[in-house]
Amino acid sequence: MQSKLKKVFSSKEGVLFVIFVLIFILMSILSPHKFLSNYNIQSLAYQLPEFGILSLSMMLIIMTGGINLSLTFTATLSMIVGGLAMSSSFESTGMAFLSVLIGVVIMLLVSAVLGMFNGLVVSYIGVTPMLATLGASTLFEGISLNITKGGAISGFPFMFLNIGNSAILGIPVPMIIFIVVLVYMWILLEKSRMGAAIVMIGCNPKVAEYSGIRVKKILFQTYIISGILAGIAGIIMASRYNSAKESYGSSYLLQSVAASVLGGTNISGGEGKVLGTLLAAMILQIISSGLNIFGLNRYLTNVLMGFILILVLAINFITDYLKKNK
Amino acid sequence: MKKVLVLLVVLVAMTGLVFAAGAQEAEDDKITIVVMPKLVGIPYFNASEEGALQAGEDLGVEVIYTGPTTADAAEQVKMLEDLISKGVDVIAVAPNDAVALTPVLMKAKNAGIVIFDWDTPADPSVVDISVHQIDDQKFGEHMWDLLVEEMGPTGEYAIVTGGLSAANLNTWIDYGLDYAKMNYPGLKLVTDRVPTDEKQQVAYQKTLDLIKAYPNLKGIVGVSTPAPLGAAQAVQEKGKNDSIAVVGSSLPTDSGPYLEDGSLRVGTLWDPAKLGYLTVVLAYNYLNGTKPYDGQEIENVGTITVWDDNRTVIMGPPADFTKENYASYSF
Repeated sequence: MQSKLKKVFSSKEGVLFVIFVLIFILMSILSPHKFLSNYNIQSLAYQLPEFGILSLSMMLIIMTGGINLSLTFTATLSMIVGGLAMSSSFESTGMAFLSVLIGVVIMLLVSAVLGMFNGLVVSYIGVTPMLATLGASTLFEGISLNITKGGAISGFPFMFLNIGNSAILGIPVPMIIFIVVLVYMWILLEKSRMGAAIVMIGCNPKVAEYSGIRVKKILFQTYIISGILAGIAGIIMASRYNSAKESYGSSYLLQSVAASVLGGTNISGGEGKVLGTLLAAMILQIISSGLNIFGLNRYLTNVLMGFILILVLAINFITDYLKKNK
Repeated sequence: MKKVLVLLVVLVAMTGLVFAAGAQEAEDDKITIVVMPKLVGIPYFNASEEGALQAGEDLGVEVIYTGPTTADAAEQVKMLEDLISKGVDVIAVAPNDAVALTPVLMKAKNAGIVIFDWDTPADPSVVDISVHQIDDQKFGEHMWDLLVEEMGPTGEYAIVTGGLSAANLNTWIDYGLDYAKMNYPGLKLVTDRVPTDEKQQVAYQKTLDLIKAYPNLKGIVGVSTPAPLGAAQAVQEKGKNDSIAVVGSSLPTDSGPYLEDGSLRVGTLWDPAKLGYLTVVLAYNYLNGTKPYDGQEIENVGTITVWDDNRTVIMGPPADFTKENYASYSF
């Protein structure tokens, strides 16, 4: 029993879980009536999913040894195109359900196409992921700005707002979507052949190639999945903010890298856990909200987040080192 | 492993203690006014922070001046949700995007919080009082007047703006362009407004490109506070102080060096510190049952104008900053 417990706590996820609990307790002590209020727990549950899904999308790409710098602009471009279709079809037909359906389907389709574009450039043309997605991010932002002319797309049917703002049986709809995504990602990475292939490619693409994995095809598919996940996050954001605009969520880009790395994803690829990324996203979320409620200067919040990130990385490094030298 | 864990617990606990010592939770009976800028950490919003905090001190209320570190509407929504959890009396926000904030401001309103906007308007249907620094039309026209004063009524010019999605910047430019079409037909705009991400460095780069691409350029209007500085920096570097006139909205102290060497001819703006001050004073009055009225005298700010809708407040006319007078301003 004891050794089992020890094993759990010496895993990266175990460490993260302990940190999460500690920070949660700390925040509860700092602002007892406010942080633990029903309202705040609800609002945390609405805030986490969009960030969590983007982090999972980022984790997936980092696991292949790449990075997706066009992540947030994938989300916003797909919500802009889908949003435009939704509001204009609602205006012309007046049918809310149909317009929402059209809008959501188009958002998912566009995000898949954008993912496909990244996948094509990275896997078949062979451009370094960082450069390819950096270029794509400028491209997507440019297209978005051309469509919106710098404004926001709005005028969505009221029904659409339910996606991001309502709850079923007390569970916020974004949370339900997030749980579905989590389960899907867990099956993909832990149980499927593709997951195993992604890990191998991340460790060493050449070896993977020689062991009969179709590296290009898998990479291509991974970018599509990452794109669709960004699209799902885009749907939630568009619904929560009642509009679509190119700059929404731009602050999530580096935070999602931070959540992935904090969650134990190896930045050079080949290693990553859904549970770890989830815990990391939750940690960053409660730090951000908790300190905001507490009234801490926003810069110090960033400082603290950076500090915790480095702390966890150091701990992970030390534990790895100790394990190797046992 | 155990040691590492213990170390961790101690570290986290220590951080907690440090912060617990550094800040205190707001007392519940004190009036709390939140003033949220588009982002924190640029000179403009630092100046308004000083004003807002000063007003809080003068009136004896708690002012929380907080905002995202990047100009992201999503981040603002999250922070506002947290602040609703915290429980405050007034939220005064400068939205990065008006529509995006409507649902969260609605939530705040339902929670009994008074909603103000300042600097940039939010959705009028959820806002109780809207504090404007300036009459947008007059300000836009004023910038083009300054441009013509410096470059003459004919010739090529360009617009360098903070960002393509900033509503207030776009409004000024639109008014300015309409005004120029009517009154200064000799002006020729060489290209679409150039976005610069609210960064002086980007404005500098893009202006270098403009100078290269349009050798006959005679004037540049910089809209948003870092833009004219970046433009002036580029003009100065290319030694075009005499042939290209840079004007625009800028803070006087930052503009100093460029005004001195003539690369920036004139800057124009309102005092952001006063704007922050005014916002807090109006919020305080509102909570005490006094709504702003036209011609009201606000201490340390001046006489305000209130529109017929009884909720749009205009702080006053712009101030021009030149080589001669910039040193007399403190922001």
